[in-house]
Amino acid sequence: MIELYHIWKQYQKPHWALSDVSLEINTGDFCFITGPSGSGKTTLLRLIFREIFPNEGQILVDGINTLKIPDHRIYNLRRLMGIVFQDFRLLFHQSVFQNVAIPLHILGLSPKEIRRRVFNALRQVNLHHKMWELPQRLSYGEQQRVAIARAIVNNPKFLLADEPTGNLDPELAFEIMNIFKEINKQGATVIIGSHDRELIRYFGDKIFFLQKGKIIGKEEKR
Amino acid sequence: MIFRQLWYLIKNAGNNLWTFRGRNLISVLIIGFSFLVIGIFLALSNNLTYLGERLSNNLAISFFLEKNLKDEELEFIKSQILASELVEEVTYVSSEDAWNRFAANFPELKDILDNLNSNPFPPSYEVRLTDKILSLSAIVYFMENIKSLKGVIDFQFNQEWVEKMDSLSRIVRAIGFFFGGILILASFFIISNVVRLNVLARKNEIEILRLVGATNTYIRIPFLVEGFVLGLLGSLISLIILFIMIKVFPIFVGSSLGAAKDFFSLRPLTIEQSIWLIVGGVVIGILGSITSISRFLRI
Repeated sequence: MIELYHIWKQYQKPHWALSDVSLEINTGDFCFITGPSGSGKTTLLRLIFREIFPNEGQILVDGINTLKIPDHRIYNLRRLMGIVFQDFRLLFHQSVFQNVAIPLHILGLSPKEIRRRVFNALRQVNLHHKMWELPQRLSYGEQQRVAIARAIVNNPKFLLADEPTGNLDPELAFEIMNIFKEINKQGATVIIGSHDRELIRYFGDKIFFLQKGKIIGKEEKR
Repeated sequence: MIFRQLWYLIKNAGNNLWTFRGRNLISVLIIGFSFLVIGIFLALSNNLTYLGERLSNNLAISFFLEKNLKDEELEFIKSQILASELVEEVTYVSSEDAWNRFAANFPELKDILDNLNSNPFPPSYEVRLTDKILSLSAIVYFMENIKSLKGVIDFQFNQEWVEKMDSLSRIVRAIGFFFGGILILASFFIISNVVRLNVLARKNEIEILRLVGATNTYIRIPFLVEGFVLGLLGSLISLIILFIMIKVFPIFVGSSLGAAKDFFSLRPLTIEQSIWLIVGGVVIGILGSITSISRFLRI
């Protein structure tokens, strides 16, 4: 479960990126955070995986106050999460395989297990045939799929994705959402920042609407 | 599991060393140059120390004795001299022998000698020291010891020269450490900046590793391995260049120095000095890495 209480975040005065945001995301939710560009979607996600700190407020992940985790222990939180970054954050001097394998190497898995899991993850995003390519030789959409494969490769408890389908054609976007849905069915909590209304309407179980850093609405399908 | 991770990280470090080889080569050359300067001063200082020691070994010590000593007194002094492990050979030179030697060496002064009523030369023991490298302090201690014996008036030894050589060698070593120290300090900052450039170039990679759950140690290890390798290569290169210089120096420069050649020769470093040089390179490389990477681990 992820809980945010009265979060205020400011990058530069006088503009507040988030003002007094409170929300709860239950374990197993498939949730969208939506809103126009600059509404605070990315900031909200970055706060959840503690890439940045809020000016005020509390963030609890599974009951643990993430703001109190010391820097050298933050890996414990990050290992619970698979993150798809808006800018992908791939290593361009390493192959697709090596990029996707990073979280598994960190866990110290055997080479055989790593090969198996990476292949499965790449097959899920339909990129297994480009396993040994360097990311710079891939299209934008393909790079995005590599980032998705890296996020799902170690079966995370929470999957956070920032505009994961922004560069994909509608067909592939639906495929990716189906993968997320599948991971969600296996028990992962999925949180997606997106402004793709069609996808949200089709897949969203829980939707938070952000505008100018404030939650202006919440919708839940039952 | 730990070994698997370690092996992966070491392989990763190797890949990174190769991928960023241009930048790494600069680090290696900077470390190499700094340690070469220290090595050159050490080699010069080694040579002066060696010359001083050789000088002290080649010089004979003369212990002047009272005249009319009994045989047993002479034997006792001789036995005390021979008891020292510094001594190779002892020769008794009587007053007459000394007179004859002087007369033979300085025939133009024969008239002066003939006008003397008595023989002014005291008998003496001439002592040749062993060929082993001896310390000046041990020789001085030995001489003072013998001089304190009954019947020994004085001793003659060109101590001043040996002392000068000894202090010159110390000065050269001190200058070496001074300049070498400055260069090492400078190279430490240059290296940590070069490593920092490496780290900056790979800031993205460090961020990604942090965000996908890597521990600080996991991120640090490849950089430490790289620092270790750069330091090791740098110091090894300095030793290789120094070795070549020691071989080539006498051929190209030595003869032009004339009589000063002996003073400016380079003498190879001892194994201990070489090991310290390598350890120094490795420590510099690792420290450079540690200081550069720390501030990127707070993401």
